[in-house]
Formats: sequence, C-alpha cells, structure tokens
Amino acid sequence: MATKVLPTREPRSVRRSLLLTLPIALWSALMFTPGFAQANRSQRIASAITIVFMVVLFFMMMRTWTTYRWRRWFFVALGLLFPVGFIHTVMVMRGTMGIPIEEMIAGRTPFCFLPIPLLILPAALTRTLVFPGSILPNGGMSGGGMAAMAAIWLAVTIVVGKGWCSYACFFGGIEEGMASVAPNAKLRKLDPRWRYGPWAVLLAMVLLSLALFEPAYCMWLCPFKAVSEYVAARSTVGLIQNGIFVVLFAALVIALPLLTKKRTQCAFFCPFGAFQSIFNKTSVFDVKIDKTRCTPCVLCQKSCPTMSLTEESIAKGETLMSCMKCGACVDACPKDAAVWHIRGTEVAVKPERARLMFLYAAWAMAIMFGGSIIAQGLATILHLFV
Amino acid sequence: MRTLMAKLGYSAAGLTVCAAVLAPFVLYGMFTKGFASLGLHVDEMYSGGPKVRTVQAAGYTIDIHRQVSPHMWQREKPFVQLDWRPVSALPAHVSELVDIDGDGQPDVRVTFDVPRDPKAPLRVNVDSLNPRYEAMRNVGKQKFSDLIVRVDDAILVRVPVAQ
Repeated sequence: MATKVLPTREPRSVRRSLLLTLPIALWSALMFTPGFAQANRSQRIASAITIVFMVVLFFMMMRTWTTYRWRRWFFVALGLLFPVGFIHTVMVMRGTMGIPIEEMIAGRTPFCFLPIPLLILPAALTRTLVFPGSILPNGGMSGGGMAAMAAIWLAVTIVVGKGWCSYACFFGGIEEGMASVAPNAKLRKLDPRWRYGPWAVLLAMVLLSLALFEPAYCMWLCPFKAVSEYVAARSTVGLIQNGIFVVLFAALVIALPLLTKKRTQCAFFCPFGAFQSIFNKTSVFDVKIDKTRCTPCVLCQKSCPTMSLTEESIAKGETLMSCMKCGACVDACPKDAAVWHIRGTEVAVKPERARLMFLYAAWAMAIMFGGSIIAQGLATILHLFV
Repeated sequence: MRTLMAKLGYSAAGLTVCAAVLAPFVLYGMFTKGFASLGLHVDEMYSGGPKVRTVQAAGYTIDIHRQVSPHMWQREKPFVQLDWRPVSALPAHVSELVDIDGDGQPDVRVTFDVPRDPKAPLRVNVDSLNPRYEAMRNVGKQKFSDLIVRVDDAILVRVPVAQ
C-alpha cells in the first residue's frame, strides 16, 4: 500500500511544521475544552488524549509531507472506538444490542448517516421519513435526532464531499485497519466491474425502500449492524436478517480487506459511498495526476483502497468519482505526479497549497465529528480503570 | 481566463475552509433547524399516527389515534393505536370497551394485565364488537400492526383493521 513508497523529499522543519499545526491545536482545544467542566475524570483524560492524538497526527502530516498513513491512524481509531462507545451506551440505556419494537415506536432508534439516500425518495413523494427514529432529540438512544445527523452530514459534505468516507465515516476504519494488517495482498486480481457494486446496491435499496416503506439497507444488508445494533431476533425473519449482517461483516469488513488490502465494503458494496460520490462533483478539492510527470508505473492504482484509479483515468490525469481523498495515491507516487488539486487551478501548480487547504478543512471536520467519537470510546475504556 | 478560474478556485477553497470553521457554530444549528422545518414526519407505521380523541377513565386516559394504512408494498395491515396513559396509575387489570370510531357504540373490548415489573412481557386480548376491527388472542409484540407494548409509562395497543 501507500506506506511502501516514501517520498524522497526532506522532512519539513520542526518549527515550520509546528507553526502549520498551530491552528489545528487551537481548533482541537476549542472543540474539547467547553465540555471539560461537566465531564468526569475518564472523559477529561480521554479528551486530552484525543487532542494530543489528533494534533500529533496533523503535525506528522506537515513534517513528512504525507497524508495517508497518518490519517489512517485516526480512521482506524475511529472505526475501532465507535463500536466501543456506542455498544456501551446501548447496553447501559436499554440492556441489549437488539432494537426492541417499543423503542422503534417511541422513535428512539439511533440514526446514522447510511440510510440518508434511502429516505430521500419517500420523503420527496410523501413527506414521510421511513425510519423509526425522531426528527428532533427524543430521549433514549435518539441522540440529536435525524435532523442533527443530517446537519452533520450536510456540513461535512459541503466541506470535503466524498472525503466523508475518509475523514468522517465511523465504520470504514475497521476495514481500513484490516486492510493494513497483512503485508501483501493474497487476492490481487479483482474484476474492475465490482466497482459498480455500490451503485447497484444503492439503486436496489432506494427502490426497495420506496416500495416497502422501510430503510431496506438497515433491515437487510448493513454489515455494521454486527458491531452496532441489530434487529431484535424474535422470529425466523429476524434471525435471517441478523445472519446476513454477520456474514456480510465477516466477508466484506474482515476477510476480503485482509486478502485484498482494499476497503472492499466501501469499494464494492456501500450504497452511501456511491451516493456520496455524487458530491465529489461539487467539492472544490480533488486529486489529479500530472500527466507530464507520470511514467506511468501504476503504483497509485495499486495503492488506491477503493479502486478509484484505472489506467484510462490515469491517462486522463484524473481519479474516478469514487475517490475519497484518502491521499494513498499521492503518498505512493515516486514522481510526485499524483497531486492534491483545487478545481479551476492548473494541475501540479502549488499542490502543497491545495493539500494544506484541504487538510485544514478535512481535519477540522475530523476533530469535530470523529474526535468526539474517539473521545467517547476512549472514555468508555478508561472508565474501567480510572 | 486561466487566472480567473484559478482565482475562483482558490476563493472557493478559502470559503470551504471558512465553512469548516463555521460548521460547529453556525452551519450545524442552521441545517438542523432547516431540516426540522421541512415539514417531514416519521412514517405512521412507526409513530402510530396522530391522536384524534382522548377518553377519560378513572386514574388514566385512553388516546385514540387515526387509522394508519400501509403504503404500497408495506408488509403490515392497517391498524388503530390506542394508548393507555396513567394520570395517577394504571390498574393491575384493564378490561375496557372502547369506541374507536366515535359513533357512540363500543367497537372492541380490550383486556390486558399490567404487571408491576415494567420489563415483564405484556399480552392482550381484543374482542371485536364491530367487524371492521379484528380480534386478537393473547398477542404480545408481533408486528407493527398487531401488538401491545409499554412505552415509558403508557401501554400501547395496536388493533388491526379488517381490509
């Protein structure tokens, strides 16, 4: 993967790296300190660790000129700590990971971002949200309600577009972690047609959700139900649903990332990822290939965790719309041909400026949203010891 | 033209960074309020539909909701939700004639026990006095259109409507 080939560039000076990190350090403090007064000891320690973690990672991005491997630490921590905090909260509040029907009727099913594309058509046609949650906070596990999750999604999407999948998604870190465990891929030849999988799942789930008036993906296909909450298995249908969740999780999030070193759930299955790809067209930041420098060695193509580069797209100097701006290809390129880019500007003209602007925006979002999830998961673990 | 495009690009990038800074302080609240004001509502199959009448009883009230009908291929029957809400407390045993449609004639007799333990399972019997409403025998939490559940301190019964 990207970590194999390091850029030949000399590290940035410590002083300059610190200066560039200063805004992020201030932002982290701003995001976490307001809650300090009400927090207990383990929450304070968790917040402090999270601040240091996020600031150090950003510093290393500045110092080494690389993005992917440092972002990956954050993303894996997010993926691993989200279930810890979430499952703990669910067990404390309702004593089971299965969603009881009375909680659905009370509108207290926690709402994640994954069903957002499935709700659009029923909402547009009938003004109805086909999800057993509540629009505003409603106690229990309802959190901030659907409006809060939709607002976070919209804010992050405006800022980073499909970058959501690399800087905000609290599920993708598990498979990214799995993909980095094995030194080499055992399965190398992947049919490129698999990359249409998310679009097929998206289309099927949108139509099914409209026809059945239920969030079909959450009910039948979401692999992450295995590590968050699932349909309470009171019947054979419930058992089948939970069986599907576990099999999909084991295959797409554990086994295939280990074998392929790709984020297979994201690349081949996730309907939200396909939906989010549309917002790559509206985002001001993207990744380009400088054709004048490209040899082409296809190291970028090999390093991409979502197969968002093909020989054709490299020849055009572009990434596919499924690119989630993780920076793997940029870090992998030995010729600095894969570059961060701002739309409207010329390719490879001040790419570091584009990277900095993107990273400030993306890391600010990561700290605001992902950082709070990391801190919650850490606090849950620390609570056992402190 | 290239310079203009570059300037526009950098301006947009700068605005995006500003949007990131404003997100937790301005955008988040603005978008939350905006979403909440869209006039959307949660599917009545989950929420039970709007309340249309309240019947007063000794120590509790019965909220009668509007009939909920399934959409297109939704795998549920139409139903009416009745909520038993304590004013002081619910009795240990409820056996109630309920006029659902408000025509002055009872439509169903609903019978259930109220265990002291809020986590204890509930079972309900519904005798149909009007062929429009289906009878239920010893029903617990089965389907959205056919159940008895406790939500906070209220007990909700959903009576299926004959199709």
